[in-house]
Amino acid sequence: MFKHDSIEKNVGLMMVLMMLAISVGGLVEIIPLFFINDTIEKVDGVRPYTPLELRGRDIYVREGCFLCHSQMIRPFRDEQLRYGHYSLAAESQYDHPFQWGSKRTGPDLARVGKKYSNEWQVAHLMDPQSMVPESVMPHYGFLEKTPLDYSDVGDRMAALRLTGVPYSSNQAEYDSNVKQFGEDVAKMLDIRNAQKNLVDQAQNGFGGAPGNYDGDASNITEMDALVAYLQVLGTMVDFKKYDNDQFVKYR
Amino acid sequence: MAAVGTATIEQYNYDIVRKFSIMALFWAVIGMAMGVFIASQLAWPFLNMDPWFTFGRLRPIHTGGVIFGFGGCALFATSYYVVQRTCQTRLFADGLASFTFWGWQLIIVLAASSYVLGYSQGKEYAEMEWPIDLLITVVWVAYIAVFVGTVMKRKQPHIYVANWFYIVFLLAVALLHLGNGLAVPVSLTTMKSYPLFSGAQDAMIQWWYGHNAVGFFLTAAFLGMMYYYVPKQAGRPIYSYRLSIVHFWALSFMYMWAGPHHLHWTALPDWVSTMGATFSIMLLLPSWGGMINGIMTLSGAWDKLRTDPIMRFMIVALSFYGMSTFEGPMMSLKDVNALSHYTDWTVGHVHSGALGWVAMISFGALYHMIPRLWDTKLYSTKLVTVHFWLATIGILLYITAMWISGIMQGLMWRAFDDFGNLQYSFAETVAAMHPFYVMRALGGLVFVSGMLVMAYNCWMTISQGKAAEAGPAPVAA
Amino acid sequence: MEWLNWFKSFENTKPVAMIIFFTCFCMVLFYLYGSKKRGERLESYRDIPLMDDNQDVKGAK
Repeated sequence: MFKHDSIEKNVGLMMVLMMLAISVGGLVEIIPLFFINDTIEKVDGVRPYTPLELRGRDIYVREGCFLCHSQMIRPFRDEQLRYGHYSLAAESQYDHPFQWGSKRTGPDLARVGKKYSNEWQVAHLMDPQSMVPESVMPHYGFLEKTPLDYSDVGDRMAALRLTGVPYSSNQAEYDSNVKQFGEDVAKMLDIRNAQKNLVDQAQNGFGGAPGNYDGDASNITEMDALVAYLQVLGTMVDFKKYDNDQFVKYR
Repeated sequence: MAAVGTATIEQYNYDIVRKFSIMALFWAVIGMAMGVFIASQLAWPFLNMDPWFTFGRLRPIHTGGVIFGFGGCALFATSYYVVQRTCQTRLFADGLASFTFWGWQLIIVLAASSYVLGYSQGKEYAEMEWPIDLLITVVWVAYIAVFVGTVMKRKQPHIYVANWFYIVFLLAVALLHLGNGLAVPVSLTTMKSYPLFSGAQDAMIQWWYGHNAVGFFLTAAFLGMMYYYVPKQAGRPIYSYRLSIVHFWALSFMYMWAGPHHLHWTALPDWVSTMGATFSIMLLLPSWGGMINGIMTLSGAWDKLRTDPIMRFMIVALSFYGMSTFEGPMMSLKDVNALSHYTDWTVGHVHSGALGWVAMISFGALYHMIPRLWDTKLYSTKLVTVHFWLATIGILLYITAMWISGIMQGLMWRAFDDFGNLQYSFAETVAAMHPFYVMRALGGLVFVSGMLVMAYNCWMTISQGKAAEAGPAPVAA
Repeated sequence: MEWLNWFKSFENTKPVAMIIFFTCFCMVLFYLYGSKKRGERLESYRDIPLMDDNQDVKGAK
């Protein structure tokens, strides 16, 4: 006969039961997310970040931008008007870590890409109050003065490749990326040419967007990278291709 | 001298408890002062000094400083004290305990420096990069070994319920830390790493961690503290031992499910967030079980509330605990959450729990424990009363400011004009919050000044204890 | 392995989970409050924190 007495007096058994009690909830809520197909919507256009965008994202994480800016638009009418189409899980499927955020001291940034010009973004990061007088955002002028260290961008992509992001490190992976994302993007995702691709994007732009994000062509700065990242946010999926109810079934 | 040496081998290892108590006070001052500073940055943005001292880099120093620095050291101190006294045995492995002390302080210093330098995992309350995460793992294993080792060599056959809460906290934090910390380093010579999971899965794992850091670090463990210090200070046993067992198992089981309420209306599948909300609402019952058990301990001795300011700290802490654990389930309702999420309401909720419950119960425990550790009397009870009022007024200012600014901002975001357009630009809502950000910083300042009063009072108590010890030995009775 | 699919639908798993957890809960309640003698024994543990007073502080006496 089971006796609670034996739990009270046997610390080993007690710890086993505690582990059971605290494991159930997490297991039930987390494990299925990896197996249920509906967790991530099927949608065209979402691709891993280019080397320059990736370095920009690293800076975004480094500066703790996510503490004041969310990247997750909720399916409400006011958010639709203010920020655009609600965010899909697919749009952050290559985000290690996710940057959905939990607080909007500043506005949501999930679809900030291409809403403002590069010049606006740079001027705003240098001195936010010059563009938005009410803003409480810190100044990030130092980004413009700090040359971007891209010596290890290949290592960074390789680390992400280990987590499952389809950056290619050999011909077979490259070919499969060509099939999935098209040749232009697949070239950008190749770890072997990471540094060359980064410099190329910083100077000449990528995917129709002009390069030289910070307006100073003489060097590649952290500002170039951060603005390149901001300008791609939320622009990968073309929502004109889908009708309004397309994603409801995933919710 | 040899005879004296053997005679003074303490029955309990108080040395480690003393060290952790002092550091709890130290990190409380640092962490809370940092909170006032970053609150001021939001009110007066010119206080941001790039690149190192911007809000984004300092905020984890505040959260880490108060949660892991102040909260962590308070838990180490009280758990080592409680486990020895309720098991009636000396702490297991003094050397290992000492290692947990130095290891934990090193972790906090390293984490804070790394944030200023721009190393962040990018996940709230788990910003520490992988080398620090590994160090935490080692120290935590040592902590578990010391604590469980002490329980195993106990002289009292029954394991007192306070220790149950401490043990479940040790286990849960280990589980959460390992689960959420999984990451691939860029190389072995850099601090930078990328979390193993991405997007929706990463979000779920982060808030499974984040919510249960609240549930087990800031709730279960501090309930353990409550189950020892409230009866001790009141001089009466806990109200109902059986109630403590029911709410212990219910709390341990249910808390782990509640994480997804941080992700309502996001791209996380709806069924998960519904599940999170359901369990959050059910959590009200075990939470209030604990509150009732604590408060009712005083049943029949309510006059202590008038005469004993330390008791007042504890009971007000339990009241704030009850209030936050009511507010929390309410905010986990999807309709309420649609308004409250992303606003200062959440920040206010966290602080009514963190300042009202966690800090105040720790203050009560430390005021109870410090005179006993240094074998003396508290320097001034009057200063405890002063601290109590400063703390209470500070909290009330803080949470009122956050309620108003949060609800106001939530309503402004969703306000439409007669033509169906958005009524306010985002910048207008930011401007509207300014007075409340000032008020919040002020509330924080009042709370911190109370903390300084406590630090002074404890400092004087300790030096008084040391002086007595160094002075002429009293004639043995 | 076909039978595993039964667990995929919430209509099935929700009541099952309810029954399991509720039964556990009732068993704990029964254990605690079912027997008077056991109840008295459990309640006697309330006094553990108060039993160490001989170790208490000299100055406060």
